Amino acid sequence: MFTANTTLMLVATFLPVLGALVLLFVPKDQRRVFEIGSLLIMIASLLLSLPFWFGYDRASDAVQWAGAWTWIPALGVKFSVGMDGISLLLWLLTTFIGPIAIACSFKSIEERHKEYYIWMLVLQTAMLGVFITQDMFLFYLFWEVMLVPMYFLIGIWGGPQKLYAAIKLFLYTLAGSVLMLVAILAIYFLQHKATGAYNFSLESFQQMAPIIAQQSKTYQHLMALAFFIGFAIKVPMFPFHTWLPDAHVQAPTAGSVILAAILLKMGTYGFVRFLLPILPTATKDLMPWFIALSLIGIIYGALVAMIQKDMKKLVAYSSVSHLGLCMLGIFALNPYGIKGGLFQMINHGISTSGLFLAVGIVYERRHTRMIADFGGLSKTMPVYATIFMIMTMSSIGLPLLNGFIGEGVILMGAFQAFPWAAVVATLGIILGAAYMLWMFQRVMFGPITAVNEKMEDLNLREILYFAPLVIAAFWIGLYPKPIMDVMDAPVRKLVEQVTPGFHAAEALAARQAAAAKLGMQGMAAPAAHHEATPAGHQAAPAGHEAPAAHGEPAHGGGH
Amino acid sequence: MTGFAQGLLTALLRDTPLITPQLFLMTVATLMLWPGDLFFNRNEKHKWAPITLVILAITAFLVTKVPDGEGFSRMFRMDGLTRGFQMLCILASAGAVTLSVKLLDSLKQQTVEYYALILFSLAGMLFLCGASDLISVYFSIELMAICIYILVAYLRDRATSVEAGMKYFLLGAFSSGILVYGISLVYGAAGGVSTNLVDINQALALTPTTSNLLVYAGVLMVLVGMAFKVAAVPFHMWAPDAYEGAPTPITAFMATAPKAAALAAFLRVFGTGFHGVSSDWVLPLCYIAGASMILGNVAAVRQESMKRLLAYSSIAHVGYMLLGVLSGDPKAGAQAVWLYMLIYIVMNTGAFAVVIYLQGKGEGERIEDFKGLGRKHPVLAFAMMIFLLSLAGIPPLVGFFGKFYLFKLAIEQGYVTLTVIALLTSAVSAYYYLGVVNQMYFKEPEGEAAPMGSGSVFIVALACILVLVGTAFGPWLLDWAGKIFWV
Repeated sequence: MFTANTTLMLVATFLPVLGALVLLFVPKDQRRVFEIGSLLIMIASLLLSLPFWFGYDRASDAVQWAGAWTWIPALGVKFSVGMDGISLLLWLLTTFIGPIAIACSFKSIEERHKEYYIWMLVLQTAMLGVFITQDMFLFYLFWEVMLVPMYFLIGIWGGPQKLYAAIKLFLYTLAGSVLMLVAILAIYFLQHKATGAYNFSLESFQQMAPIIAQQSKTYQHLMALAFFIGFAIKVPMFPFHTWLPDAHVQAPTAGSVILAAILLKMGTYGFVRFLLPILPTATKDLMPWFIALSLIGIIYGALVAMIQKDMKKLVAYSSVSHLGLCMLGIFALNPYGIKGGLFQMINHGISTSGLFLAVGIVYERRHTRMIADFGGLSKTMPVYATIFMIMTMSSIGLPLLNGFIGEGVILMGAFQAFPWAAVVATLGIILGAAYMLWMFQRVMFGPITAVNEKMEDLNLREILYFAPLVIAAFWIGLYPKPIMDVMDAPVRKLVEQVTPGFHAAEALAARQAAAAKLGMQGMAAPAAHHEATPAGHQAAPAGHEAPAAHGEPAHGGGH
Repeated sequence: MTGFAQGLLTALLRDTPLITPQLFLMTVATLMLWPGDLFFNRNEKHKWAPITLVILAITAFLVTKVPDGEGFSRMFRMDGLTRGFQMLCILASAGAVTLSVKLLDSLKQQTVEYYALILFSLAGMLFLCGASDLISVYFSIELMAICIYILVAYLRDRATSVEAGMKYFLLGAFSSGILVYGISLVYGAAGGVSTNLVDINQALALTPTTSNLLVYAGVLMVLVGMAFKVAAVPFHMWAPDAYEGAPTPITAFMATAPKAAALAAFLRVFGTGFHGVSSDWVLPLCYIAGASMILGNVAAVRQESMKRLLAYSSIAHVGYMLLGVLSGDPKAGAQAVWLYMLIYIVMNTGAFAVVIYLQGKGEGERIEDFKGLGRKHPVLAFAMMIFLLSLAGIPPLVGFFGKFYLFKLAIEQGYVTLTVIALLTSAVSAYYYLGVVNQMYFKEPEGEAAPMGSGSVFIVALACILVLVGTAFGPWLLDWAGKIFWV
């Protein structure tokens, strides 16, 4: 039924919820058992997930470790799982963040430990499940299940406005996803009409793209909008972002970390996995609007972050801005843009988790997050200041750290598609540097007050949970190739799904450019020249642009 | 003359097996009233509850044994639809009886009549599920409803209960009048030959265009009458008051069993009898369904009483189920409605079981009473949370599966706007269901709730497990639903 690898993947995914079932039977006053137990479960899940990083076949764009088990044959629902490079990266990010989120809760969670750790574990499985499912029904299941634990995490352990924030998060997301359900069902019936079979598998949905493209424009646009709203609320894109600051500010630190690192990525993942391949034509039609919303998100998020007085709210609005950048890359619909968008999702997961953890640290010590209450912390908390610095730099995209690569690649992609959009996005990145550095300056430097002088620096546990994030930030910043390689083939396939013949045209353009270059140098091989001529009239403009953007292939051709 | 008598006897002998369960119920219920009542003294009346449960089990067994067929001058049909919905009615009644024991004990209101009335009413429902003639539809509804009027007013020393019974009775009688007037108009328009649903469908197809208005008026009046019975907006006004005033087990009963039976009749009357003139009733029914979803869910948001909240939510759920009645493919519609009703009975009975558990001495049914339940009774609160989330249709709970199946059908049949309304209003419903969850988990407890005993705990546990794992057994549920068919 399932191969050994698929089974291992399922074990890693479901281990947290199985652990939660065991913890259910532990008496609730055993605080230590819940803390250590859930940490060990998360670490075990992480260790089980690591072999997949090494075992992934980077040359193939197929869904790997696929397994399917018939569940409801009458409806065509299968328990179907598997991962490609895109899912793998986010799946690993989730198992990576899991132990950190648990470790940062030991001190800040002071009541109802049993429920807290059980909800955390359930949430982990639900999130991991979203990334491995290859069936639309199953996807919707995991997608919705995720909401319930998050609702409780904010509602029970959150700040003063927790009830409002929890229900807002729940209703916003639910409203978006029910619209998505309608679109899923509509495509499901269209598929039944076209093929005569009831099938919820993701692959069959993606194969529907040409048939959907033959439907009326209104139909296509409505479908695309239904998906778009469902995912855009989760990302969140302007103007659907209003739940995010509330949820972040009210959530406990671990809740914010998971929200920023994983939950928001569900939306971007949804765009890449579902909207683009299933509805490519409609996406391209609506692309200007999507790009515009992304740009508004980038600038608006940055401007609003600038004026925040609460550190957590500042980081929350910076998420709106950063995810706008991810969306800009994805909607550029070219390999650089999509790769950059995906890459930036990982980066944002690392740097923003780090920032939320850092805010959590001072909140635990002072029970305030107002920037004005701090100042000069670098004097008493040097280790903390260093780590905060690294995370800030990673967030604003300093070279050598992870953020730089992601932003750079996105801007390349955006420039190819919409040069003016790249210009606006750059403005957002500059603003980002401004508000982050300004916050850092106000918190870390300047005169120190008596209260702040008594603040303790990081203890071993805190250093330990920051360490993986710092290492990851440097590793990705210095040597991003392994991650790029993992998403290479799937992104190639995705671009081909969105724009059939994209790579062929690109290769042709590159060849023409090379041939033109050779021709100018008077060393043109007759064969190459011959090959390039037939399509030469149509592809001429593309040929002019190509060398600038694709220096590498042109170069290779030249030698 | 003897020939006629002999023919009658033969027909009676031939047809009687079709209604064995109903005959059994009515005989036993009569015997319970006398001489059965003499066997137990005043303090032993609670023993009637287990006996009633046994009777219900036997009835369920009989229902499975009744052969398919049509009888009594084609007034009653036994087929997949009948059997499926009869089982639902029995299931819902069994739930209500189990929940009644401790509550009636604590109110010192145990009587044999209570249980006998449930059985009589159930007999009416079993007739209604198989009624294939407008006349039999009408008298089955009356048999069912009259018993329930009494049950609603059962706590006769309590003003709210009596008021609820009175209100329900008056509006019920009024709606019956509309129903029967509609039936007479349809009967007239169809040529005045037969009230059998199949005949009516054929006759209505042949009516001259001059009698279109007559048909239209008749069909609409039948629609209104039926909408009253299932408490669909705008004919729902009686429901919140009746639900609030009735003893809570009866509220649970009213929200499920009669609705299952009335929906079976709804499906059969409109799917068979008025199938040919669907252009007359589809649009009004669309509005009724849409209005039920919107008003039911929106009105529930403002409620402070748990019973009223569940009343409005049941109005909304009826709105969803009417999507199945609207289906152009009556068979698929019936399957979806049956599946949804089955799931609704389980989660709703579970939720009412928790309410009853908390009620102590029949008081304290406010949403505020759930405050801090998560600390006081973690298991009970967890079960309640599961029921509420399932009612809201959050996957992977079984309530989602029912909704999914129903909405899938509605989209397939082209009711996209209505489905979008249904889905968005179910997002609204999450708001008030979560409001209760808020009280249970996010608020600190006050005081102590009086435990209510094993019967409701059993129901809570069973329903909770079913709701939790139901979706995994989706194929089985669909297999069962596949048996719901009729000609």
